[in-house]
Amino acid sequence: MRITWRSAELRLLVPILFAVPLGFAITNIALTDTLDPGSMHLALGYVGLFVVAHLALVLFGHRGDQLILPAVGAMGGIGLIMLNRLPQDLAGTSGFGVQLGMAETQLLWFGVGMVLMVAVAVGLRDYGVLRHYKYSWAAIGILLLAATLLLGYEVNGARLWIDLGPVSVQPGEPLKIVLVIFIAAYLAETRTLLTSATMRIGPVHFPPLPYFLPMLVLFGAVMLIVVRLNDLGTALLFFGTFLTMLFVATGRRSYVLIGLILFVAGAFVAYRLFGHVQSRVDIWVDPFADPLGRGFQPVRALYALGRGGLFGEGLGQGLVMLGSGLTIPYVHTDFIFTAIAEELGLLGAFALLGFAAVLVFRGLRIATLAHEDFGALLAVGLMTSLGLQALIIIGGNTKLIPLTGITLPFVSYGGSSIVASFLMIGLLLAISHRGVTGEQEAPNRS
Amino acid sequence: MSGDILRILLLILQLGFVALLYVILLRFARTLLRDLRSAEQVQLASRSGIGRLSVLESPDDEPPAGTAIALGPINSIGRNVNNTIYVEDDFVSTNHAMLTFRGRSWFVEDQGSTNGTYVNGHRIDRAVALSFGDELTVGRVRMRLER
Repeated sequence: MRITWRSAELRLLVPILFAVPLGFAITNIALTDTLDPGSMHLALGYVGLFVVAHLALVLFGHRGDQLILPAVGAMGGIGLIMLNRLPQDLAGTSGFGVQLGMAETQLLWFGVGMVLMVAVAVGLRDYGVLRHYKYSWAAIGILLLAATLLLGYEVNGARLWIDLGPVSVQPGEPLKIVLVIFIAAYLAETRTLLTSATMRIGPVHFPPLPYFLPMLVLFGAVMLIVVRLNDLGTALLFFGTFLTMLFVATGRRSYVLIGLILFVAGAFVAYRLFGHVQSRVDIWVDPFADPLGRGFQPVRALYALGRGGLFGEGLGQGLVMLGSGLTIPYVHTDFIFTAIAEELGLLGAFALLGFAAVLVFRGLRIATLAHEDFGALLAVGLMTSLGLQALIIIGGNTKLIPLTGITLPFVSYGGSSIVASFLMIGLLLAISHRGVTGEQEAPNRS
Repeated sequence: MSGDILRILLLILQLGFVALLYVILLRFARTLLRDLRSAEQVQLASRSGIGRLSVLESPDDEPPAGTAIALGPINSIGRNVNNTIYVEDDFVSTNHAMLTFRGRSWFVEDQGSTNGTYVNGHRIDRAVALSFGDELTVGRVRMRLER
């Protein structure tokens, strides 16, 4: 068997794998004023994970995209440096007699995620099978939501978590993947019908409603429940992803227009009906109205961005403490981008955005290389979901849009998010492998 | 004193770290550009690609299983050797089906064959629009439309 080296991937991974220990070293020096190696073993563990993942892909003869894994490595590396720098008691796991700090827990989830990523990338090369079970996916999605409604508990007014003994899970994260697979499968089947047939009322062309119905019913149910769970960020994410996939599948601007009108109308109604939506918008419009109360988090975040400036305060040298606590609440999940921008400055934040842009660009490239509609739509959906999620939370951090609490993929602390994001990357790798090789189901010669 | 040295070291390392991030970004940009250029050439080489049929299953091996047939805008399928896509299978009629590219999508229509034409396992009775990734079955030959 001939070995196909993934040389481009290796060339990009090497400098990243040097940068992560360097970042850890800077943090350690700044925090302790000594050359003590401190938590360097975490950086080396991170480097090890990516080397192993790279070798595993080479070993299994994977010929898919070579830029995705390094881009993920860069984003995750910056995130881990920052999580290691924050006080380790912000989050963590204890169980089975071991006590893990925040950065250690995150590294553990990276390990779990990357094993799953390689498994999906290698094992699901014939990802077309996903298409055949599309109503099963829809059912799984509904079940996930129902489970959250019945068993979930609230954190910060949003009911997102299910307690499963040693770990808590956010069902919204796997739901994202399940929903994208279902929509991709459904659109791949009905695409031609959606573009060729139209209902006309007067001079206006309307989409042929009957073909939309199953999708709209499921989607309405999801949106309704997500709004009931007070999880606005996820609702926005689902809606944006759905609209993008619909546009890519049909090429019709009118669908986008109708979707946007629905969105504006829905946002207006939500603003009028729900107190928490109203309060989010009010804080966004003027966080300084109540700087020590409701506006505390965004005001602190804006100050942090200002302190960071162009070059940043330096790793381990920013982030003002208030007593023994950090001044920005949830700096390790929702506000990690702000922490990065404070310590690495605008330059560092731009670099992070650059890596995210590479990821999105490659996702779209994989879609154009796919030989079938299902693969192309799946790639577009997965990448839109990752990119939009980053956009929503970074926009919230910088007061561009009202803040909604979701994670920054690969950067924020959180097991569910990390594992789900790696599963999505695994699927993308599988799609790109088929796109490159044109490999198909084994021909059946009986 | 040693504190000062550490501060200076820290500043240099910090600048080095941010510089390294941008070196990495530049490398990404170079790789992306190279990939786009080669993609352009590939596209030039296969300009007329409106689609292909890859053969998944073919008991009599004509067309051979595992190969892909490049498609023109109009393709006739049947057991007569004059068809664009010649299929050697006892269950396929002389002039079995017609596969055409009209405007923006592919259509398939049965030409009155004995055993019928199937799209994704369903027998068709009129011209049916195909998506890329759909499976087309004539006789015992199973094919998939691809980009």
